Amino acid sequence: MIAYTIYLPQIKGLLRKWSQEFEIHVPTRAEGDFFEFRPWTQEVEIAWDYDLAYTTLKKFFLPPKEDILCFNMKDYSANPVINAPRQLLLGVHPYDIKAVNQLDQLMDMDSPDVNYRARRDNTLIFGLEPANVADTAFWSSMGAARVDFGFDLYWTRISPGAFFVQVGSAKGEEMIKLDGPIEKSSVAQKEAARRAHLKILAQAEKRTLKYDWNRVPDQVNKFFSNRTFWMERAKTCLSCGSCNLVCPTCYCFDIQEEADDLLKQGKRYRQWDGCMLTGFAEIAGGHNFRASAWERYRHRYMRKGKYIFDKLGELGCVGCGRCVRACTARIANPREVYNDIWEAIKNEI
Amino acid sequence: MKSDFSPYVPRPATLVAKKELNEYVTLFEFAQDSGKPLAHRPGQFIQVSVYGVGEAPFSVSSPPRTDHHHFEIAVRRVGSVTNALHGLEVGAKIGIRGPYGSYFPMQKFVGQDFLFVAGGLGYIPLRSVLHYMLRHRDEFGKLTLLVGTRNPGERIFTDQLAEISKRSDLDVLETVDAPDEEWQGNVGVITTLFPKIRINPETTYVATIGPPVMYRFVIQECSKLGIPQDRIYVSLERRMKCGLGKCGHCQINGLNCCLDGPVFCYTEIAGLGEAL
Ligand SMILES: Cc1cc2nc3c(=O)[nH]c(=O)nc-3n(C[C@H](O)[C@H](O)[C@H](O)COP(=O)(O)OP(=O)(O)OC[C@H]3O[C@@H](n4cnc5c(N)ncnc54)[C@H](O)[C@@H]3O)c2cc1C
Ligand code: SF4
Ligand code: SF4
Ligand code: FES
Repeated sequence: MIAYTIYLPQIKGLLRKWSQEFEIHVPTRAEGDFFEFRPWTQEVEIAWDYDLAYTTLKKFFLPPKEDILCFNMKDYSANPVINAPRQLLLGVHPYDIKAVNQLDQLMDMDSPDVNYRARRDNTLIFGLEPANVADTAFWSSMGAARVDFGFDLYWTRISPGAFFVQVGSAKGEEMIKLDGPIEKSSVAQKEAARRAHLKILAQAEKRTLKYDWNRVPDQVNKFFSNRTFWMERAKTCLSCGSCNLVCPTCYCFDIQEEADDLLKQGKRYRQWDGCMLTGFAEIAGGHNFRASAWERYRHRYMRKGKYIFDKLGELGCVGCGRCVRACTARIANPREVYNDIWEAIKNEI
Repeated sequence: MKSDFSPYVPRPATLVAKKELNEYVTLFEFAQDSGKPLAHRPGQFIQVSVYGVGEAPFSVSSPPRTDHHHFEIAVRRVGSVTNALHGLEVGAKIGIRGPYGSYFPMQKFVGQDFLFVAGGLGYIPLRSVLHYMLRHRDEFGKLTLLVGTRNPGERIFTDQLAEISKRSDLDVLETVDAPDEEWQGNVGVITTLFPKIRINPETTYVATIGPPVMYRFVIQECSKLGIPQDRIYVSLERRMKCGLGKCGHCQINGLNCCLDGPVFCYTEIAGLGEAL
């Protein structure tokens, strides 16, 4: 493992260099205790110790609304629209990197999504060891406290003025060396990074799944037919879709289009959609395959807990805790759902 | 940035003929502008674009052809895209993507008997299988076709049905749920035709397509006849947007109806709570 130690005063220079090639996005304090990724400028203060970015980072790869096609309504010719800005995300926590790694696999699977791929290829991810844990997060028990790939650099703050920066790609190494010579990390600095990881892990362990995440698919599947459980849970669901919107591993979308005023040409775009919204599975004739809120609610937990696992071998929930925060009905909570199922099954036996 | 290829880009096709099948359903014959055959397999669907309106999935209703770049879809008017299609005149263009999805494994059916159970618009995709078999008639055993419609006014492909009913190498049985004064045929839901048919459950494959409520009952009848589950094929409809396994709309439990389906062997979905 190659690693360098970067000191706080070096960072501004690097950022300036990077900004010549990339749009840089960094965590900043938004309002009160909320943090958001914002475009970096000289004036922006990076919130190195943020706990959770309120909105997900999937927007950088799968924008809320994205043109995918322009068409000519006269001759029916059509061309792909692929917009892929060069962007650099500095300060991405491991659970969010894990979510991107999942999207990478899902989007490349079967029929590769060229729009996603182009954006992904033009984006650098500089990971950051968390220094705080959101009060709704449970990533440490979802196998998302550490990632082995999916970043170009991975930063760990080892003292108020220094970062241990692990190299994850050749491009990452090139970037970290862009503003002049830097120091190779010592064994002691590596050890300090390891301790920082253990420290945050200990903090994260306060809120966890009660059992190994590998067993979630099996547990949640056993409860698929337990209507009472899901109905009870989803009783107050507003079908607002907020839990979908904020989730870093939700990627469902709708496709729509608009024509210009002269009806000569137009463009087709995709837009975030959510399986919790009422009409998501409705077809012509009015038949809705998930007509009730509880069916949609169950689908979401099955998808996170089993369907994605069946495809990728890992859970579709990384435990970021965003949906827990976003749900006004206070019912979106994978950790509680999976724990309650576990308890119920245990007590049955 | 421009790329030459995106799976979201349709190819142009031109409307060459149009025929009303009933008040709401019209048959469309299109030709691919490329001059190439569509190269679909029976049971597959395409995504059809009317630019400025949108895109919607339709089963290819004609059997596959290698010698021809024409193909047919039959469309029921229900909303924006389907209405726009009905408004097209011969010579008009559409965009198409696909063919997509799974299909009926025709090779498996060779030398076997076959039972078609078509409810309402389910006849449209099954027609692709049926006409393939009729064209290669000597490769297949006894063929039985059951067609059920809500009322006589909603029947589709009536001319073709009348014609194939005359054939001695195919048994056709039709029924309507609610007859009108002129209707002389069977009355009752499609399952009421089952006692009238003679099939050998060990050599018969079944393909059934119809409205969501129909499947359970048809499968029950098939089981009563002793047809093993792995000889029953269904095609399922779901809301579809991308057709590529990405957008999530068509999910049936963990399966994507657009990729893993729309055609399923019953054993693939028997255990899935959201399938039937
Ligand atoms: C695999 C497959 C094969 C099909 N084959 C045929 C066929 O051969 N003939 C035929 O007439 N119809 C077929 N359909 C149904 C057809 O796709 C819908 O009727 C069509 O999408 C409605 O589009 P619209 O723009 O006219 O309706 P809209 O104006 O969009 O809406 C009308 C209704 O259609 C529903 N709907 C909207 N988009 C979709 C969608 N993408 N998929 C399903 N329902 C939708 C809406 O919920 C609403 O209830 C098939 C559907 C699938 C999934
Ligand atoms: S389901 Fe909730 S906790 Fe899990 S990844 Fe999505 S937003 Fe985060
Ligand atoms: S679970 Fe909560 S956030 Fe999700 S749709 Fe229901 S009310 Fe909205
Ligand atoms: S139609 Fe989009 S995933 Fe199947």
